[in-house]
Parts: sequence; C-alpha cells; structure tokens
Amino acid sequence: MATKNPEQVQLKSWKKTSDGELYINPLPVRIWHWLHAMGFVVLILTGIQIRYTNLFNVLTFETAVKTHNWVAFAVIANYFIWLGFYLFSDRITVYHPELNPRKFFDKAFEQARYYSYGIFKGERSPHKVQPYDKFNPMQSITYQIVMLLVVPVQFITGIMMWDIKRFESWIAMFGGIQVIDTVHVLVFIFFLSFTMIHAYMGALGQKPSTHFKEMFTGFEEEYEE
Amino acid sequence: MTASTRVSGAMGNTRPVLPSLIIFLIFCAIFNDRLYAQPVADPAAELAITKNTPADLGTQLEANLKQNNKCLKCHSREKIKTLESGEELSLQVHRDDFTSSAHGEIACVSCHEAIGSRRHPSKKTNITISSRRDYSVEMNQSCRSCHDKKSTQYEGSIHFSMVGQGSEKAPVCTDCHSAHAVETMTVYQPETGFPCKKCHENIFIAYAESVHGTARISGNVIRDKHIQAPICSDCHRSHEVTAVEIGDTLRSQCFGCHENVPLLHSQWLPNAGTHLDIVSCAVCHAPFAKHRFDLHLYDNIAQVPVNQQESYKLFQQQLQDIEVGGNVDPLAVWKLIEESNETSLPANISLRGRMEVRSGVWAHQIASKSFAVRTCDSCHQAGNRQALDVTVSVPQQDGRIQRFETDREELDSVGAMKSISEFFAIGGNKNRLLDILVLLSLIIGVAIPVGHFTLGQMIKEKLDRGEQ
Repeated sequence: MATKNPEQVQLKSWKKTSDGELYINPLPVRIWHWLHAMGFVVLILTGIQIRYTNLFNVLTFETAVKTHNWVAFAVIANYFIWLGFYLFSDRITVYHPELNPRKFFDKAFEQARYYSYGIFKGERSPHKVQPYDKFNPMQSITYQIVMLLVVPVQFITGIMMWDIKRFESWIAMFGGIQVIDTVHVLVFIFFLSFTMIHAYMGALGQKPSTHFKEMFTGFEEEYEE
Repeated sequence: MTASTRVSGAMGNTRPVLPSLIIFLIFCAIFNDRLYAQPVADPAAELAITKNTPADLGTQLEANLKQNNKCLKCHSREKIKTLESGEELSLQVHRDDFTSSAHGEIACVSCHEAIGSRRHPSKKTNITISSRRDYSVEMNQSCRSCHDKKSTQYEGSIHFSMVGQGSEKAPVCTDCHSAHAVETMTVYQPETGFPCKKCHENIFIAYAESVHGTARISGNVIRDKHIQAPICSDCHRSHEVTAVEIGDTLRSQCFGCHENVPLLHSQWLPNAGTHLDIVSCAVCHAPFAKHRFDLHLYDNIAQVPVNQQESYKLFQQQLQDIEVGGNVDPLAVWKLIEESNETSLPANISLRGRMEVRSGVWAHQIASKSFAVRTCDSCHQAGNRQALDVTVSVPQQDGRIQRFETDREELDSVGAMKSISEFFAIGGNKNRLLDILVLLSLIIGVAIPVGHFTLGQMIKEKLDRGEQ
C-alpha cells in the first residue's frame, strides 16, 4: 500500500474531542488488541501448565490442552482482524509513516536514548503520537517483527502440534516434532518476557494510565505543554 | 576242424543240461513271487484318503480301520523304545483316544509313512531315533501331507523360527494338537486355555481375568449384550503366530472388532490419531499395567518398523556392536542411522518412540472401558515418566525383539532433538536447556521493568536533591 504524506494524512480524518483528545486507536484495533492480550495471557498460563504439570496443578493436562487449543484458534482468528484492518485501511501508515531508513534509525536511536535516560529526567518523548503516525520507531520495528514473523511462526508450529498426524509430512520437512515443539517453546519464552515488558512500557506514557486509557477508549490526551 | 564236426560236438553235450533245467524250473515255481513280483507299493499311498465317491470312501475307511486294528493290536499295549538320547519313548497308543480323535478314521501309516506293514522295524531293522524332540520335529512333515496350508502358516510363525533355532520349548504340531488324541477345533476354548496355556500360563490367567476372558467364559455376554469375545487365536492367529512385534499388527487386531475406536477417541482425545499410533492399547486399557517407553527403528520410506528383512541385516549387526553392557545410547543409535543412511542402508531410517506395557501379562489385563485410564499424566508429566523403563529395541531375525536399556535422561537432553526427533510427549520429555531459557525469560521479564523503574526513581531522587 502506498505510503501517504504525513502532512496529507494529518489533514484527512483526525478526530479531536473538545478536550483536545486525538482518536488514535479505532475500534477494530482496540477489539483486536484486548482479545489478543487476553488470549496471550491464557495461552501463556495454559502453556506453562501443559509444560510443567509436575510443578503446577491448577488445571488437568487434558483441560489445559483443550483450553490452549480453543483459545489459540480464537487468537488466530483475531489476528486476521488486525491484518485485515491494516491491509484494507489507510491506517497502515502507523507502521510506515515514511520509508526513510536513515531517518528511521536516527529516530530509533533518539527513542532509545529517551527510554534509557531522558525519561528519568522528565523529558518529553521524542515521538509525538498521531493517528497516522502512532508508533515510535522502536515500537514500529518491534511490532512488525512480532506480528509478521514471530506470531505467525507460533501459529504455524501450534497448528502442527494440534494435529500431528494431519501435518505429518510438514513436520517431517521441518525436522520432526521435537524441532517444531522447540521452536514453539522458544517463541513462548520470547513472549513470556515480551508481555511483561510490554505491559510495563505501556505505563510509561505521560501518566501511567495514559496508554491504557488510549487502548480502551481510542483517544489519547494531547501533551500538556 | 570242419563246421559239421563242431555241430555234432555240441549236440553230443545235451544230456547233462536237462537235470539243471528241471531244477531251475522248480526253483522258479517256488520263489516266483519273490523274483518277479512288482515293487511293493507305498502302503501310505495305498491307504491315503483320496477324493472318491461315498462308496469308495466307505471302502477306504473300512480298509483304514482294518489296517489300524492290526497296528493297535500291538500298540495299544504298553511298549517302550529307548532312544539314542537315553530317553524312553512310549509306543503305546490308547485305542479309545485315537479312535475318538479327529484322526480316528485315518490310517496309522498315513502319518507313519516310514513304517509300512512290510517295512515295520524289527530287532534287526531297528529305526534309530535320536530324541523325542527330534522325532516330534521330524513328524511335523507328516502333518503337511494333509494340512499343507496350515503347515505353511506355521512355518511363518515365531514358534517355527524358535524350533529352527534349536529351542526345546517352542511347539511343534503335536505339542498343541497331541500326537494321537488329535482334537477338533471346538476343544480350543478359553475356559481351559488349551493349548496356549501349557506354555503361556501367566498370560492366560491375565486374559481369563480380563474383559475379554470374563466375557468369553460367561457366554460372550457384556452388559447384557451378546458379543463374540476373542480367544488367543483371534488376536495372535492359531498357526502363523507372530512375535510381539513393533508396529500395528496387534493394534489392527483390536481395530478388527473395535472398528469405531479412532472415531470415539477423536471425540475427546487431542491428537487421537497420533496417540493411537504411538501408544499401545494396553497402556490405557490395562489400568494397573506398568509402562515402558520404547525407541525403535522406523523405515520412513516403507513406513513400517524395521524388521528382520535381509536388507537390514548389516545394520542390525552394527546395532549389536554399539551395545555396551546391555545398554544402548539413543544418540549413538542415531549417529549410526545417520552414517548408515549415507552409506550402506537402503532406506531412510529414524528412531521413533512408542509407549508400551512392560510385559505380556499386563498386555492381556484389558479392563472394561469404564476402568480405562483417561488421565494424561502418566505420559505427559515429567515426574511420572521418571518411573518408566526406557529401552531401545532391535528386531531379531526370528521377529522377536531384543531390548536394550537406555538412560532415560537422554530423552530430556538437547541431543534428543536429533536422535528422537520423531517423538515428543509434551510435558513428558523436556529439553533441559529450554527450561533454563524459560527461567531466564521470566527473570528478564521481571528484572527489566523493576530495574528500569528503580533506576528512574534513583535518578529522580538524585535530580531532586540537586535542585534542592
């Protein structure tokens, strides 16, 4: 999809409340995000139960597996809400406001400096959230890798393990069920820390509640100058 | 000398020849039957059952009984023959047992072909028999003359293989059917366990107490329904008895009656098809059985477990070579497979896992469906799995399985990803390296937020102090 000029998109469809709030997260994004979040928490917990039945006994193995499978399919279906929304709307610019690698890495470095130092001094985030330019460069690259690579890998390996016999030839092609399971667990290991860090960073807005509120209502308060 | 002289000379010698001719003719008259008789036909062939008309059969039967009476005249009495081995062989045939047997109307010489009426051994022409066992094995061939199909089936059995290897216990025809009191098929009933129980008593007891055995004994009734409960031969066959092998031979026997098993299991069991492939029925349906995790060699091209075929012989020999003190390391097996796949082995072989019960006795303790194990923990819980035996099995030439113990820790090692890449029980075997990474991820997930927050607070305090 062609990238739009930020100046053009800024003029197009901004919604602003009387309180000066910006409409950052449309309804499909919010629905997808919270379903995805809840699904992931359940998948992580049931995944831990499945793998560590000798340590935890909250659910029986059978219940944990069945819950894991059903929730996983719900999360897969939900993924297509995200994919469909961004493929068929002009909001895809939140990931690529402009394709300028040099500028992108400069901004990413600036953002990393902010998180590691500037934020403690009470500086403003170098990235100003806009409806069509929502993510800072660090978020943008991370979410694209996660949503276009890591999450699909988890879906594919999970589906293969859901019906081993049906995907027998595919499993053999990738090196056997041990390999498939190991990849699935490695991605789980990544998401385990990612989810915790993601939740923490969600609290690093202007106020700790700013981004959470934004994800519920869709509106984000403008910075107080 | 002229020609006339020679003739007259010959005529002059006729008188002394005449008495010799007369004596010769008398001799011929007396011993005519011995000198010019046709070769004696094989009595067995004479008396063998042929496809004749009922009238012919009647005549044949009459001849057989007449002939048998001659045999039984002596052999119904106690007679002992001392064999080369020093054993004593009773030559007695109990008349009633024989005449009421399935072979009661068949001539003795049909089986004992070597002992025709005119070739009966005497003290001078004694037949030497090395041992009772050798004689029984030798007599197997007599059965073939009428029971060709069954004999061929038997020759494909584990029993026949063991006989060939010199086993003294493996059964020949007469061990199951007896020599002279041959019973009809109706005798082979589970109530008695005959004839399998004679060698497999423990297994028969387990069977008799199982859902199959009790149903059969109680008249084939389960939950007020008539069912045809299996006896030994229904699953193991009667003559082509195969070794308890790796693969789905026995599973397909179960499915023969329980044909809706895949459907029923798929309604509640995740990955039902895979479970049915790698977990033997008895693991769940014999609830008190102890389990064993067995690694076996699988031919990925033929899609069958490696068996005793000629093409695997060299490979099997190599497997024997890597055995150390009864133990085999799966990783060593895998390395051997890798090397063999590149060089000598005409197949793509991998090492696959299978959950089994530890003994044949447990395999027969099949309980009613309501007692079947439905919890997953025995396989999918690492703690429980520690109680398992883990073996590497290698098929032998006769179809039997040789099992080597192995280190169960191997299943949890990083190397297992290669050595047993085709098998994985979630929660059951866990890669220890991944466990460490899970812990590390958890620590990172907590440490980064806590560290970042703490650092922020410290910097803020420092800045606040600086402002003051």
